[in-house]
Amino acid sequence: MTIRRVVTLSFVILAGALASGADATPPKDAVVIGLLAEPVTMDPAQVTDLNSARITKRIFEGLVAQELGSYKLIPGLARSWDISKDGLIYTFNLRPNVTFHDGTPFNAEAVKFCFERQLNEQGPYYKTGTYPYVKGFLGNVQSVEVVNPLTVQIKLKSPLTPFLQYLAHQSLFFYSPDALKKYGKDMVKNPVGTGPFKLETWEPGVKVVLTRNDQYWGGPPKIRQAIYVPIIEAQARLAAIKTGEIDLTIDVPPDSLDSLRKDPNITVAEANSSAVWYVTLNTRHPILKDKRVRQAMNLAVNKDAIVKDILKGTAIVSTGPMSPVYGPFHEDKTARYPYDPEKAKALLKEAGYPNGFEITFLVPESGSGMQQPVEMGTVIQAQLQAVGIKAKIQTMEWGAYLKKYLDAPDMAEMSWNPSIGDPDHVTYMLLSSDRFPPAFNAGFFQNARVDELLRKGRTTVGDAERATIYKEAQRIIADEAPWIFIDHGRQIIIHRKRVQGFKLHPNFDLVLSQVWLQ
Amino acid sequence: MAAVGGGGLPAYALRRLLLAIPVLFGVSVLVFAVLHLAPGDPAAIMLGAQATKEDVERLRRDLGLDEPLVVQYLNWIGQVARGDLGRSIPLGRAVLPEVLLRFKATLLLTAGALAIAVLLGLIAGIVSAVKQYSWLDRMSMGVAVTGVSLPVFWTGIMLIIVFALQLRWFPSSGMSSPYGSGVADVLWHLVLPAVTLGTASAAALARLTRSSVLEIIRQDYVRSARAKGLAERAVIARHVLKNAVNPIITVLGVQVGFLLGGAILTETVFSWPGLGSMMVRAIQARDYPLVQGGVLLIATTFVLVNLVVDLLYAVFDPRIRYD
Repeated sequence: MTIRRVVTLSFVILAGALASGADATPPKDAVVIGLLAEPVTMDPAQVTDLNSARITKRIFEGLVAQELGSYKLIPGLARSWDISKDGLIYTFNLRPNVTFHDGTPFNAEAVKFCFERQLNEQGPYYKTGTYPYVKGFLGNVQSVEVVNPLTVQIKLKSPLTPFLQYLAHQSLFFYSPDALKKYGKDMVKNPVGTGPFKLETWEPGVKVVLTRNDQYWGGPPKIRQAIYVPIIEAQARLAAIKTGEIDLTIDVPPDSLDSLRKDPNITVAEANSSAVWYVTLNTRHPILKDKRVRQAMNLAVNKDAIVKDILKGTAIVSTGPMSPVYGPFHEDKTARYPYDPEKAKALLKEAGYPNGFEITFLVPESGSGMQQPVEMGTVIQAQLQAVGIKAKIQTMEWGAYLKKYLDAPDMAEMSWNPSIGDPDHVTYMLLSSDRFPPAFNAGFFQNARVDELLRKGRTTVGDAERATIYKEAQRIIADEAPWIFIDHGRQIIIHRKRVQGFKLHPNFDLVLSQVWLQ
Repeated sequence: MAAVGGGGLPAYALRRLLLAIPVLFGVSVLVFAVLHLAPGDPAAIMLGAQATKEDVERLRRDLGLDEPLVVQYLNWIGQVARGDLGRSIPLGRAVLPEVLLRFKATLLLTAGALAIAVLLGLIAGIVSAVKQYSWLDRMSMGVAVTGVSLPVFWTGIMLIIVFALQLRWFPSSGMSSPYGSGVADVLWHLVLPAVTLGTASAAALARLTRSSVLEIIRQDYVRSARAKGLAERAVIARHVLKNAVNPIITVLGVQVGFLLGGAILTETVFSWPGLGSMMVRAIQARDYPLVQGGVLLIATTFVLVNLVVDLLYAVFDPRIRYD
C-alpha cells in the first residue's frame, strides 16, 4: 500500500516538475553562455584560466585595450599615452569621471594602489592574493608615480616594448581600492571593477550572473544580463545549445558541427586564433640535435590529414610558431614541410639513420588547449613509423605531464594559447635560450641569430621594424625545425540566431559589449 | 519495534564515534601523502607556459609549498584540528564553506539516486522472487544484469542524447535553470542524473532483494503463515520482508558509499555542482587543501553511514543487541 502511494506521489511530483520546467524559456534581455567550467576566481590579478578571464574581462578594465577582433591596442582607462624616447617612461592620461562599481573614483592613485598591491611584498595588501604573473609582467617596473589625479607615470628598469600589451592583460586590470580594503582575501568572490558589467550573483558550480553597468563610461551594453553556466560535458553543451537552454557556447564535439551549420536557429562563428599546437623536439638529444632529422620528422607527418580527419577542420595547418592572427608580424613564407615521406627518408639517410631510430614520445591524456592529444599522438607515431622512426608513446595525466615536459623529454606534445597579443609572447616565451626549463623552451632550442633577433624585438619600438625582426626569426625557426609544427586551432563559437553582433577575438575572449538580442 | 538493550546503544555509538578519530587521522595522512607524492605542482599548473622561474618560486613560497612535507602536513592538520580546512589554492576561498556547499548538492543527488535505487530495486526484487522463473522475473533480472554492467558516464551521455537532445523532456545539465528557480526546477534537473547514478544500485539491490526474499520465502514460518490463511500480500509484507531486510540494509549502506563515489562521474557528465565535479577539477589543479578537505568530508560521511547502518540492524532486528 505505502509503496503504491510513494510511486504515485513520485509520478505526480515528476509530472509537475516536467510541466513547470518545460516552460522555462530564456529571458528576452539576457544572454545565457555555456562555459566549459565555472570561473576559478574573480580577482583579475589572480586569473590563470580562460573561463575566469572570459568573465572578469567584462567586469574589469586596464589602461589600454585591444580592438575587438585583433591585437591592435586602443585606449582603455587611459585616453592616451606617451612613451619616452629611451623607452623607459610611460605616461598615461587617464579618462576623467570614471568610477568603480562601488562609487570609488578611478584615478592615478587607484592605478598605483593596484600595481603596488602585487609588487610590494611588504605592502599592507600584498597578502590579499597570490599573483601568478607579477614577476613576468611587472618585474621590469622601476616605479609607478602619481603625477596628478589624471596622470600616472610608469618607469621601467629597461626598455620592453611588449609592456604596453601586458597592460591589456587582465592581471593588470583595476580593482576598486576601497573594495579591496573592505573585502581583503574574500575579494576573490566580490569583484568591483569599472567595466560594462558588474557581478549580480555567483552561485558556485551553478551560475554567474552579470548585470549591465548603466553608468559605464563607454555607454551601457545593449543586453541587461549575461548568465554564465558551467557545462563540462561536450554532448551536454551540444544538447543545451540545440534546445535553446543556452544562447552561446564553445567546444562542441567536432563531428556535430555539420548538423549545427544546417540548423536554422543556430549560427556557427569561426575565426583563426593565436593558439599553436606542436611537438617539441629535444635539440640536445644525440640524434635530434641534427637539423636534418628534425626536418625529416616534419616532412613525415601529414598535418593536413590530422587537421581534416581528427580535428574535423577545427584548425589550420601550422608552418611556424605564430598563427596568421598576428597580421603584419606573421611570416607566410616560412620553409614549408608538405607531407613527403620519401624526402623524409632521404634526409634521414643523409643524416646517417637510413633505418630510422627509437625515441620516447610524451603524450598527455588531456589538457588545456591540447585538442585530441592521444589520437593526434597515435597518428604522428604511425607516420613516423612509416619512415622508420619508432616513437614509443608514454601517456600521463596533465598535472604530472607538465612536470615531465620540463624534464628534457625526447619529444613531447604541447600547445600554447598566448594571452598577450605581442609576437614576443610566442617566440621569446617558447624559443629563446633565456627561457630554458623551468621556463617553456623545453627542447633547449638555441640559435644565436634567433636569440639576437628575439632580444632586439623586445626593445625595438615601431611595428614596421619589429615586423622585419620577427619575420626573419620565424624563417630561421621554421628552417631549424625545433618543433614538429602541427596546427593552429580555430575558435568556434556556436550561438542561437537571436544573439546578434557577436564577434570573435583572437585570444578566445567572449566580448559582449556590442551584442544585442533579437 | 522491540526495545534495544538498556543503555547499550548510546554507549556503543559513542565508542564507534571515538574509534572514528584514528580512522580519520589515517585518512588525512594517506590523502596528504598520495597528493603530495604524486608528480605535479599547483604553481606550475596555474602558470603554464608563460611562467617565469621567479614567478614559480614566488608562488610556491606564498603558498607554503617550499616547506618540507612533514612541516606542511603538521601545519595543515593543526589547522584542521582547529576546524579550519585552509584556503583553496587557485580559488583563494576558504575550503570548509566551499566543500559543505558542494556537499549539499552531492547529498541531494545521492538521495535522489538512492530513492530510485530503493524504489526500483525493491519492487523488481520482490516481484522476481514472488514470481520466480516467470517472464517478469527473467525480464527484471535481465535488466538488472545490464544495469549493473553499464558504466555511469555511458548511461549519462545516452540519457542526455535521448531525453535532453531528442525528446527534450529534461534539461541536459546543471542543478537549476540559468533563469529559473524553485523546488520543481531542481527536481526536473535531478531526474536524469539521479536515474544515471541510481540505475546500477537499483540493479544490485534487485538481485540481492530477490535472493534474500527467496531464502526467507521457503522457511517453515512462512509456510505456517500461509497455512493459517493469511493473504499472500500480508505474508510477504509482515513475515518475509521484515526478515529479509537486514542483508538489504547492509548492501544499502555499501551502496551509499558507492553512490558517493559514482557521483563524481555523474556530476561531471551532468555538471551537477556537487563535491565530485569540484574534486575532479581540484585534483587536476593539484589544489591540495580543497582535495584534502573534500576527502576528509567524504570519509567522515562514510564512517557515519556505516555507524547508522549498524545501529539500524538493532532497530529492525530485536535479536541484535549492542551491550
